[in-house]
Amino acid sequence: MKKRYWRCFVCNDIHYGVAPPELCPTCKVLNAYVEVSADEARKILGGGPGAAITPGEFRAAIERFAAGQEFQVNPDRDKVDLLVRGIFENERNHGLKYCPCRLCTKVWEEDLKIVCPCHFTIHETYKGLAEGECWCGLFVRRK
Amino acid sequence: MARLIMFHGRECPHCKRMMPLVEKLEQESGIVFDKLEVWHEEKNADLMRSHREDLAPKCGSQLRVPTFFNPETKDAVCGELPYEKLKDWALKQ
Repeated sequence: MKKRYWRCFVCNDIHYGVAPPELCPTCKVLNAYVEVSADEARKILGGGPGAAITPGEFRAAIERFAAGQEFQVNPDRDKVDLLVRGIFENERNHGLKYCPCRLCTKVWEEDLKIVCPCHFTIHETYKGLAEGECWCGLFVRRK
Repeated sequence: MARLIMFHGRECPHCKRMMPLVEKLEQESGIVFDKLEVWHEEKNADLMRSHREDLAPKCGSQLRVPTFFNPETKDAVCGELPYEKLKDWALKQ
């Protein structure tokens, strides 16, 4: 099924998926999404204030993402520092926050699978190891 | 002796950890690895992509770093490896 772009006509939230959410998570209006073009969505997403995220904000975001989960952000601060630097270098040089421990194939759909944080709980390094971590080591299994 | 390649990323912690082991192996065995950085050197990235069919099946279906590769035999191992495992792999090439 092809994913499309959807815009909340009340608050301009953008959703990318096969169908829009019934309830807008920002303005809480029901059935408020209308389909828009990719160009329109990109303009809305990229042009507003606060569109960029700083490395510090990203770290806070992944801490929130991991809170209460079976995984946590790696307590090895040096490793996390290096990874976050790589993630932001990759965004600047290659367009998205690609995992510094893998490589883009230049196939868009394939490369979406390596944007950080990835779906790492399906990876063999997480599933197969007692210490379980994502391929890059940004997340480890919570002890 | 086969020409071996180490594909690595500048901000990859596994690559950073493997680099001194690779250098130790080079000194002890005389084996030389071409160390090719792939996130900041597009020519190296393209070379790695050109071997995707050989590398991906051995690396979780993806292109991952570090990857150690013999372009002649197409044999590859990837990830953070114990020194002895890397040495065994390199010596059998």
